[in-house]
Amino acid sequence: MKYRAVTVIGLLSLVALAPAPPATTSREADHVITYSRNHVSFETVDIYIDPQGHSLAAYQFELKVAAGDVTTVGVEGGEHAAFREAPYYDPAAMARRRIIVAAFNTGSDLPAGRTRVARVHVRVGGGERPRYQATLEAAADADGKPIAGATVTVEQGAGT
Amino acid sequence: MRRMVLALLITLLGAVGAASMSGCAQQVHAVVATPRPSYAPAPLAMQEAKGREVVAVPGSLPSPDEELWVIRKAEGPAPTSDENTPGTGALMAKLPTAEKQIPVPLKHTDVKASIAGYVATVDVTQQYQNPFDSKIEAVYVFPLPHDAAVNEFVMTIGERKIRGIIRERQEAERLYREAKSQGYLASLLTQERPNVFTQSVANIEPGKAIDVHVKYFHTLAYVDGWYEWVFPMVVGPRFNPPGTSDGIGATGRGERGTSGQATEVQYLRPGERNGHDISLAVHIDAGVKIEKVESRNHAAAVDVSGTTADAALSGEDRVPNKDFVLRYKVAGERLKSAVLVQRDPKDKGAGYFTLMLYPPEQIRELPRKPLELVFTLDVSGSMLGRPIEQAKAAIRAALTRMRPDDTFQIIRFAQGAEQMAHRPVPATPQNLRKAMRFIESTDAGGGTYMIQGIRASLNFPHDQSRLRFVCFLTDGYIGNEAQILAEVHRSLGPSRIFSFGVGQATNRYLLDHMAKAGNGAVAYLGLNDNAEEVMDQFFQRISHPAMTDLAIDWGAMGVSDVFPQRVPDVFVGRPVILAGKYRGEGRTTIHVRGKFGNEEAVVPIDVDLSDAPAREGIAAVWARRKIADLADRALWDGGGESLPGRITRVALEHGLMSAYTAFVAVDSLTRTAGEYGTTVAVPVPVPEGVKYQTTVPEKQEP
Repeated sequence: MKYRAVTVIGLLSLVALAPAPPATTSREADHVITYSRNHVSFETVDIYIDPQGHSLAAYQFELKVAAGDVTTVGVEGGEHAAFREAPYYDPAAMARRRIIVAAFNTGSDLPAGRTRVARVHVRVGGGERPRYQATLEAAADADGKPIAGATVTVEQGAGT
Repeated sequence: MRRMVLALLITLLGAVGAASMSGCAQQVHAVVATPRPSYAPAPLAMQEAKGREVVAVPGSLPSPDEELWVIRKAEGPAPTSDENTPGTGALMAKLPTAEKQIPVPLKHTDVKASIAGYVATVDVTQQYQNPFDSKIEAVYVFPLPHDAAVNEFVMTIGERKIRGIIRERQEAERLYREAKSQGYLASLLTQERPNVFTQSVANIEPGKAIDVHVKYFHTLAYVDGWYEWVFPMVVGPRFNPPGTSDGIGATGRGERGTSGQATEVQYLRPGERNGHDISLAVHIDAGVKIEKVESRNHAAAVDVSGTTADAALSGEDRVPNKDFVLRYKVAGERLKSAVLVQRDPKDKGAGYFTLMLYPPEQIRELPRKPLELVFTLDVSGSMLGRPIEQAKAAIRAALTRMRPDDTFQIIRFAQGAEQMAHRPVPATPQNLRKAMRFIESTDAGGGTYMIQGIRASLNFPHDQSRLRFVCFLTDGYIGNEAQILAEVHRSLGPSRIFSFGVGQATNRYLLDHMAKAGNGAVAYLGLNDNAEEVMDQFFQRISHPAMTDLAIDWGAMGVSDVFPQRVPDVFVGRPVILAGKYRGEGRTTIHVRGKFGNEEAVVPIDVDLSDAPAREGIAAVWARRKIADLADRALWDGGGESLPGRITRVALEHGLMSAYTAFVAVDSLTRTAGEYGTTVAVPVPVPEGVKYQTTVPEKQEP
């Protein structure tokens, strides 16, 4: 029992202190969104995680706005049943240009390939096409082990 | 190992988010009359629940170690059969462009509460729909407990769930307006009073349904041996003094914008009934054996099993027109003061706590001094009928419990205030008879100029040889709460205020805060309650000195930010709950020092922080109390220019609703065609026992 506790603490520390995976590259959406100075639009930002063949049980990412006038107006769950519930965000870390989102699932049906884990709904103003940067702060499997090499990708998605 | 993943996320996301996440893992367990195997023993264990009728439910037999109680609400005065009682016909709201009558846009509210000790986690889901043939915005003004720490808001569209974002209120309103005007499906939750909220859902297309889920935490009251959980179901009508526009107005159904107030509640007319109903289930985990469970205002099925119990609102009692009040009593006479904690996953050895401080037993042994009792009775229009009769019965019961060396006064107020005598008179048989006649001659009618009642009750010379208690009997249906509470604070002097909420859906925010500002305690007198019992408990409380001038030595607990900042006095049967931040581990002893009259006393409370019961939601409860404390201070001294900023900061940091923050959610994928359509308010029934004609002002003919 004692050994188990030590293991948990050790793993937590490892994951928390491990160097963050590299920030993502953004992909273009399939359709074109036009931005103009006086126009406000609402659109989505899709976050994908690729756990490189490992079962993804928990994640935490930070989404930063690198450019543009962007305000988060909602956080939606992902495409896999394990992450379909709306994920949580950290209100203390919440700012206009940054959001930290996390979710976990204690079930056994978990995604192992690239999957959309969250969809962030945003309001875009100011006429500039926004750019985002995502950092995967943690990705862990069902045993709580960090998933080495997991990557995060941002896709600026649907909207008008 | 699954727990490791949970622990990992808790560590990473931090206290507030983690609290919510752990709630996600712990699904609310709300069992309603679990079907029993057919081989269950035939005799049904029944318990008489304090004067309530107990009936067996066919096909729902308990297992050998369980008891099944089906509690029917107490037989009170027969319901009035006048035209104010909601009928059973389908409620019809008329869309301005539609010819036919059709249902309203709120179909159902589902409530699931999970109580652990004295902390409740409550999930409320409102199911909106559009039964009309054109797009609508649904607006619903609804109540929640005034101490509810609302920290979760999720909008569901079909299978998709979008978590709302907490924002400064003005920004949230702007985001909602922008999304609404562009045709996006969007929702907004704002707070109009600590216990009154507005839910708006924009761009609901014909035939479509949207669910909005709200989650909150709060602490239960402990009242004379019972833990009490309350879920309010309807906002009662408020009287707004002439010249005010920031109150809560009452209008008839379909008369939007006619009250002249910033917030409006539309009430169903006599004979109307809306299609909105409510389901409610409560799970209690008391930690110790549960002795009794009671539903005060509703028929409910209650299933007790050792230290846990489940209660569910009866299907026959689902009209949301009164507070749901559930009480439970645990075994054992002596309750010990205790600490609950929520550890901060970001800061080892630190966290948030609540302390429930019970009055020491020796209070009961000390006699009281002579009393100067002032009974202040609200005789305004909303009290007409059963409420005024209950209030009069309570005063009559109190008068018979006075001693000859006590003095008393009776004041009634509506448009103005009127008192029985020039000054408090001794409780002689002759004066008591005069008082009875004064009470009997009292009728209800007119506006609620409560400020007049407050001033008449507090602004007269104090008899130094007596303890002065002001008993304020009212439904609290006013819209100028801030003005009233400020006046109480200004005029209180040596008095203590004991507020009595009379009715089935009273303004508990006002009543609780009047008692708090008045260094007294609150009690509720439902229309089916026994007024004599309520007054017996009141006299129990005032017949012994309160524990005053409390000071707390926290021992090795490094404590900061304790709310309320001024520790209230403790009365017999009424513990107080404090919430704060702590740092430290291991065992320590807290010492609470105070006075009973001229005597000094110390109450030691042993705490083991390493082993203290951990509860989800303590951080949110603490943040809500801090916000309430800041808001209260604003009533006394304006709070300074930075007050909104301070409240906003706390609310945003903890993701909480407040007067200055709001939740907004926009679905960027659902953009509807055309303009945003007609705004349709959800009309509600007038509270049980309240009359429509005293609720909605008559329209003046041009």
